[in-house]
Amino acid sequence: MTSIGTGYDLSNSVFSPDGRNFQVEYAVKAVENGGTAIGIRCKDGIVLALEKLVTSKLLKSGANKRIATVDRNMGIVSSGLLPDGRHFVSRARDEASSWRNLYKAPIPTSSLADRMGSYVQAYTLYSSVRPFGVTAIIGGWDSEAELPVDGQVGAGPGVGSGGKKDGAKHGGPYLYMIEPSGLYWGYYGAATGKGRQIAKSELEKLNLSEGELTLEEGVKEAARIIYIAHDDNKDKEFELEMTWISSTTGPTKGRHEDVPKELREEAERLAKKALEGDDEDEEEEKMQE
Amino acid sequence: MFRNNYDNDSVTFSPQGRIFQVEYAQEAVKQGSVVVGVVSKTHAVLAAIKRNAEELSSYQKKIIPIDSHFGIALAGLASDARVLSNFMKQQSLSSRLTYDRAIPLSEITSRIADRAQINTQQYGRRPYGVGLLISGVDAKGPHLFEFQPSGVTQEMVACGIGARSQMARTYLERHLDSFEGSSREDLIKHALRALKESLSQDKELTVDNTSVGVSGIGEDFKLFEGQDIAEWLDATFENREGGGEEGGEAMETDS
Amino acid sequence: MNHLPQAWGRPRDDIYGAYDHAHFQTAAGPNQHTQSPIVTGTSVVAAKFKDGVVIAADNLASYGSLARFTDVKRLRKFNETVVVGFGGDVSDMQYLDRLLNSLDIRENYSSTDDPLNAKNLHTYLAKVMYKRRSDFNPLWNHLLIAGLDGESKPFLASADLLGTTFSSPTLATGFGAHLAQPIMRRTIPDENSVKDVSKEDAVKLVKECMKVLFYRDARSMDKYSIATITKEGVELDENVQLENQSWAFAEQIRGYGTQTA
Repeated sequence: MTSIGTGYDLSNSVFSPDGRNFQVEYAVKAVENGGTAIGIRCKDGIVLALEKLVTSKLLKSGANKRIATVDRNMGIVSSGLLPDGRHFVSRARDEASSWRNLYKAPIPTSSLADRMGSYVQAYTLYSSVRPFGVTAIIGGWDSEAELPVDGQVGAGPGVGSGGKKDGAKHGGPYLYMIEPSGLYWGYYGAATGKGRQIAKSELEKLNLSEGELTLEEGVKEAARIIYIAHDDNKDKEFELEMTWISSTTGPTKGRHEDVPKELREEAERLAKKALEGDDEDEEEEKMQE
Repeated sequence: MFRNNYDNDSVTFSPQGRIFQVEYAQEAVKQGSVVVGVVSKTHAVLAAIKRNAEELSSYQKKIIPIDSHFGIALAGLASDARVLSNFMKQQSLSSRLTYDRAIPLSEITSRIADRAQINTQQYGRRPYGVGLLISGVDAKGPHLFEFQPSGVTQEMVACGIGARSQMARTYLERHLDSFEGSSREDLIKHALRALKESLSQDKELTVDNTSVGVSGIGEDFKLFEGQDIAEWLDATFENREGGGEEGGEAMETDS
Repeated sequence: MNHLPQAWGRPRDDIYGAYDHAHFQTAAGPNQHTQSPIVTGTSVVAAKFKDGVVIAADNLASYGSLARFTDVKRLRKFNETVVVGFGGDVSDMQYLDRLLNSLDIRENYSSTDDPLNAKNLHTYLAKVMYKRRSDFNPLWNHLLIAGLDGESKPFLASADLLGTTFSSPTLATGFGAHLAQPIMRRTIPDENSVKDVSKEDAVKLVKECMKVLFYRDARSMDKYSIATITKEGVELDENVQLENQSWAFAEQIRGYGTQTA
């Protein structure tokens, strides 16, 4: 970063002569120090996982949940400054609730991502604020069923309701990642935080775009990737936090929930086993050399 | 002369992605006298060292009861703590009025955390210069939360913040496994011992400079000071010379 | 003295002349909010029993005397410990339902906290109702909140469009307050008798009340919803057909219109 110290990096909303907004780039640095967070879009749902670094022995284990629920069917996991992540989630909840107020139906994941992208972008525009020090992954399941309008107390006539197309499909799992610049993309597999490079290359191996990975496999892969991405040398201990969202007919009934304890522990057991396996392979290779 | 340009306000990131103003606010917490908190399966205890500005002045409040089910201990700028405690009092009262429910501790903690975060993202504001331990009992049992000026909050089993609090934390880490099953009296002893660890050699815990806040399942949060804590001090530090009441000379005074 | 409540506290027309609201800036006179409900649901009946509460309401929404909608669900499950029954205006009920929905979403953000119980919800709804009536803009409903309180004991209480709250081992709104309440009090006269009532007895009692109400309330229908709330959760059936009707008693009725004998 050659332009550091030239004065163009001291205030938000200021371009440097070569067209960069340094404060946003510095915000990205804050993200790069956070624990790894990933999201996987599976055939029949979404998995969100987080490497929660244990900074003190005195922390209550299993408490301090950091993957948040928005409305009922969406989850947000973020990496970077914790309080900024909570601000982000709080805004997302407000957006979801005001959408419901207006449209009497849950907000689609794509619309939430769009609105949050705009919100985050607004924090790059003014010198009176600083950008968000977080990259957030939003996962959601837009219901494929025909939902009643909020407050509906009975069904309409059984015939003659207009505007419906036979066999038209809608809903399904969606995944988005929003960066401090406000930029966002839809993903099959998203990763951010310290271990994002390793996590990304692992996600790429899963061929997620083919849409074959099931939710349960996704849970196991997510656990494995977090374990691989964890840096044993720099950070000693971590807790794995995982949530998932399935269809209305799946295990979470369209809701965003914690992955059940038994399944998470099973996934962690497999992840540890896979890691040990890797080490053995490496040792074997060395032996052969 | 080298000058750090990135530390003038809380809306500027350093090239490393740090916000210096927030980190400086965290230093203010370390200037405050030490407070500790511990929880067992049934009780939550706060203990604090009070300071007085001069020999003849009163001692600065360190533990503030908020609602009948919880209270806070503070380290850092006491006036910032008063603003936050007033807000917490309003919020927990409003929960009782609208829902007839004691506000969950995680909820009240996140409400002040959200307020604190705004102070770190907008120009013309400063982060709160105070750290809090929020402790009490709600529908889900006893809790202890730590609050930092950055807006970070964490649920803890035990915690100490303030001047030389590392010593207290070391004590707490060493006895971590014994807290959960501790009785009320044992938990108070642990809190007092942890507090003592953070005191410099020539200083003692006395009835004048120590505050204790206790709450438990079926027991409202209560602040104990003065003669009410004499027995605990005697029981905790049996073999020290003097006794609870003669600590006058050992009193810590801020210059 | 004029005994009509609407005349209380205002100057007498016979002395001061009709009220002149010309001094209001608006041409239409003073601001007016809802003066009467439009599409309405009739009675809600509920009774406590040994380890829970049973609550019922029929599935009719009337437009005046017209039976306008015949599949309107007036019992709303809030969570595993609370059901709210709505009498009165249906659109206000839908508003309250959305309000409860948004409250439930907020409550579920934290999976670790205790959910709101029936007592919490009753306090909240009573506050909402009282606030609206104090704004001279009431929600035209009479609510029964049935479920379990903080100690997992049966809880039943009402809140109405005036913000009035009331609690009793048996409750009924609307026509039911006149017709069903005395029947239920025969079995459950006071709080002490609740412990002797089984779930089956209470359900039978409430179903009997629904039948009497269908016989005598011209704004009722023979299809209804019934829910029981116990520690095991909420059992809600939204499509119960009224059974074993006997209109023989109708022969005995005297005093309305032409009689041949």
